[in-house]
Amino acid sequence: MKVLILSPGHPDLVAGEGPSVAWSLFEGLRARAGVQAVLLASVDRSLPALFKPGAHITAFDARPDEYVFLSHDVDPWWHRNGEPLLVEAYAEFLTLIQPDVVHAHHFATFGLELLTLTRRVLPHCRIVFTLHDFLAICAADGRMIRTMDGSPCDRASPVRCHQCFPSIPPEQFFLRAAHMRAHLSAVDVFTLPAVAMCGAYLRWGLPAEKLVHVANGQQPPAGAGAPPAKRKLRNRFGFFGQLVDAKGVWLLLRAVELLRADGFSAFSLEINGDNLRYASDTRREEVERFIAAEEARPRGDRIVSFNGSYHRALIAEPMARVDWCVVPSVRWENSPVFIPEAFLFGRPVIAADVGGQAELVAHERDGLLFRFADARSLADTLRRAATEPGLWDRLAAGIAPPVTREAMVEGYLALYGAK
Amino acid sequence: MSDAEPAAPPDFDETMYLQLNPDVAEAVAAGGLVSGRAHYLRYGAREGRRYLPTPGEVREPGVIAVITTRADGSRAPPPPAYWVEAVRMSPGGGVFVTGWIDDATDKLAEAWLSGEDWEVELMTTAFARTRRRDVEQTLGATGAHPYGFWSFVDLGRAMRRHAACRLVLTQASGAGVTLEIGVRSLADSDLRDAVLAWLIECDWSVSAHIGAVAGLTDGAGAQIVAHNRRITAGIVAQPQVERFGPAQGRPKASIIVCLYGRPDYLFLQNALFAGGAGMQDYEFIYVCNSPEFADRLARDMRIGSLVHGIRQTLVLLPANAGFGAANNVGARYANSDRIVACNPDVFPYHADWARRHTEAVETLPAERTALFGVPLYYETGALMHGGMFFQIDTVHLSRPGGLFTQDLVRVQHYGKGAPPDTAAFLRPRPVAAVTGAFISCRRDWFERLGGFSEDYVFGHYEDADLCLRSLGAGMAPWLHDIRLYHLEGAGSTRGRAQEGALLVNRWLFASRWAASIRAGLHGIEPTHALLAEPETAPARAARRKRR
Repeated sequence: MKVLILSPGHPDLVAGEGPSVAWSLFEGLRARAGVQAVLLASVDRSLPALFKPGAHITAFDARPDEYVFLSHDVDPWWHRNGEPLLVEAYAEFLTLIQPDVVHAHHFATFGLELLTLTRRVLPHCRIVFTLHDFLAICAADGRMIRTMDGSPCDRASPVRCHQCFPSIPPEQFFLRAAHMRAHLSAVDVFTLPAVAMCGAYLRWGLPAEKLVHVANGQQPPAGAGAPPAKRKLRNRFGFFGQLVDAKGVWLLLRAVELLRADGFSAFSLEINGDNLRYASDTRREEVERFIAAEEARPRGDRIVSFNGSYHRALIAEPMARVDWCVVPSVRWENSPVFIPEAFLFGRPVIAADVGGQAELVAHERDGLLFRFADARSLADTLRRAATEPGLWDRLAAGIAPPVTREAMVEGYLALYGAK
Repeated sequence: MSDAEPAAPPDFDETMYLQLNPDVAEAVAAGGLVSGRAHYLRYGAREGRRYLPTPGEVREPGVIAVITTRADGSRAPPPPAYWVEAVRMSPGGGVFVTGWIDDATDKLAEAWLSGEDWEVELMTTAFARTRRRDVEQTLGATGAHPYGFWSFVDLGRAMRRHAACRLVLTQASGAGVTLEIGVRSLADSDLRDAVLAWLIECDWSVSAHIGAVAGLTDGAGAQIVAHNRRITAGIVAQPQVERFGPAQGRPKASIIVCLYGRPDYLFLQNALFAGGAGMQDYEFIYVCNSPEFADRLARDMRIGSLVHGIRQTLVLLPANAGFGAANNVGARYANSDRIVACNPDVFPYHADWARRHTEAVETLPAERTALFGVPLYYETGALMHGGMFFQIDTVHLSRPGGLFTQDLVRVQHYGKGAPPDTAAFLRPRPVAAVTGAFISCRRDWFERLGGFSEDYVFGHYEDADLCLRSLGAGMAPWLHDIRLYHLEGAGSTRGRAQEGALLVNRWLFASRWAASIRAGLHGIEPTHALLAEPETAPARAARRKRR
């Protein structure tokens, strides 16, 4: 069986759940006898040196079965590819590779029409699509947060979406959804990494018989599984992720300010991650102001330290310096790969009480949930975590082993062969 | 969704802009600005600066003669108060004049406009009056008399560019004046657009629909239509045609889509139509009235045909030829015996729309499918169209010379906004007309009717016009329940010229069809013999039983 995996990025080049899971699956499939896996990862113009003149799909870094799709002209509203040469190159690539299964992990960097084209070029191949987020449903970058008041959104409709984007008339959202569904109709099976996502996609109109839950699984990073060092106080918090708006580092910093204003400062917070440049101006300035103010404090008064980016392979070291991992995302996460990773290191997780984060974290069993997008609720949760005797030990003991990569691969193989 | 490069309006006038904006003129003269146009694009438009005089502004035309004696040798009274704001001309022979004259007590009798080797009497060709509140104020007059005048004539011949022309205004008393007026030169289409925009901007004292229609009836309407026909003929004579996708076999229908203003609908229709059962037997013909999108559309069609495997033709026109002419051009490139005129914002309601359409065409009696439409729905789920009917409004306008009376026709949709399954609007039946958003027509019948009329400017009413001609030729339009969505109004953009064109088209349609509509096609239940619904089987059985 030959499986072509379309990844929204190569994990060596870009961070993110889609690339990470696609890569994990690619590696897992390669380890299986009788399966040939081919990876086609999109790259964008941020890596211009990879764009060979006249080429549209090329091999990646002299690695067998790894290719890059030199993506451009993909419309961010309609998610369509406007470059005929790129579309034609993909059709030719399919013809050359002749996969039995095409497993797409996103459409945003490829263009939706490549799904329909796949069906046309390879009428008998099985097309599997993993919905890593809600971008198909939600035009607000898939956040499923209403732009007018920040409240969580549970369903899209032309009028509701128009309320989020008043300059865009309702019929444009009708068309966006119809266009999206038209191309997604080429897909045989949709997989969802979180059960919590199913309701939204069912309401949106995907057929129930095509929706399957397959949990994300990863190979443990180096150092995982070692028991955390014993400490009397469990008051060290860690954030691991991108510093973009949706990941909520700004909310976490607001919670720190609230606690400081309350007179509580007996805790530390380490921020691991970068890409603040992709945050909105407002949020970026807010975070930068916090950093400047923090650095202006005497060393002994500082609570937060900013460590910059981290690499997954080297995560054991920063993980060793924290007791809790905080996932303050201000969007419905689907199945953030970081939460199982924290569990692999035995760290209870503090996350918002919505979406995939609430599905992965069991409140009072292996972590704590705070009220979504509520800095006060987060602050109170941090304070409780840092001060309540025995809480950390009880929650750490409640952590169950996360889904393994092999379990995920098994799940997908069952779908590939179950035509 | 990309922003177009800013462009000056078609009737932007550098000289007038500098006259109206002395500070800009000073800056240009001092070398601080390249030109008035550059200033307008960068600042003036945003600041709301004017580039044309408002009707009230007095600009000096050159008076070169004043009539002092009449033809009989008697002494003429002094000339009245008057002004001419602009004479605009185009290479194709369009002439547009606006001005005013105090002829409240001494009627204007003649207005001769002449150039190097031509002259035209405006009042007997096309001459309309408008209200001029500024003149009323200057003269201390009431609003009873329309001091303003405007004229548009199509001389029907190519014109050399003129620096100036001569206007001779003569009143009933013999008073008059001869003016030398500078000519502003505009492209034919820009001049047409300026006239159309003028129809919207005029102070008609009454509703624009009534005032403009009265003015158009006095000759300008026919002149605008003739001028536009000439422009259209030039546009459709130069199509660029590209074919994409598989070309084997003869399609069962040719879907012709006229694109204007928004290119997105090509790939959207490709995606939403192509997957449905039966579509493999159809072809798309897109006719582009927006040449600025030519390259984009060619790329999209290349992708669309590859992705969906559909047969498509792209007909690129060098300018906007309007709905009727564009569809007629598209029909020339059709490879099937059925023409389906379809708006770009029309999409399938059921995925197997094409199969249903083919089945209707192949199984229903021929007279029911010669020309037919379908129910159309809003994206909200409500019905927006279940056939069309006509209503007549008779309008009256008091003006010098008597009461002007005209029938205007409203084209109404059955079932607009009704619940989606309202059987009364969905049942197959003959109707007075169907919307041009979707018309399926046997090709030979379409050609026998001469296709869509190209007299309407840009678009509107061609659909009803075609249906009425079909009725006149003995074949009623039908409605069959093959539903589609129509995102009405979202398919193209509309500016002031388009708004003005609506007035022209409404006048043209009314003057052409009002009398016929009064005779059996008026109202929600027209009595025309061809619109009698065939007896249903239960009704027939009931009748026999009664016997």
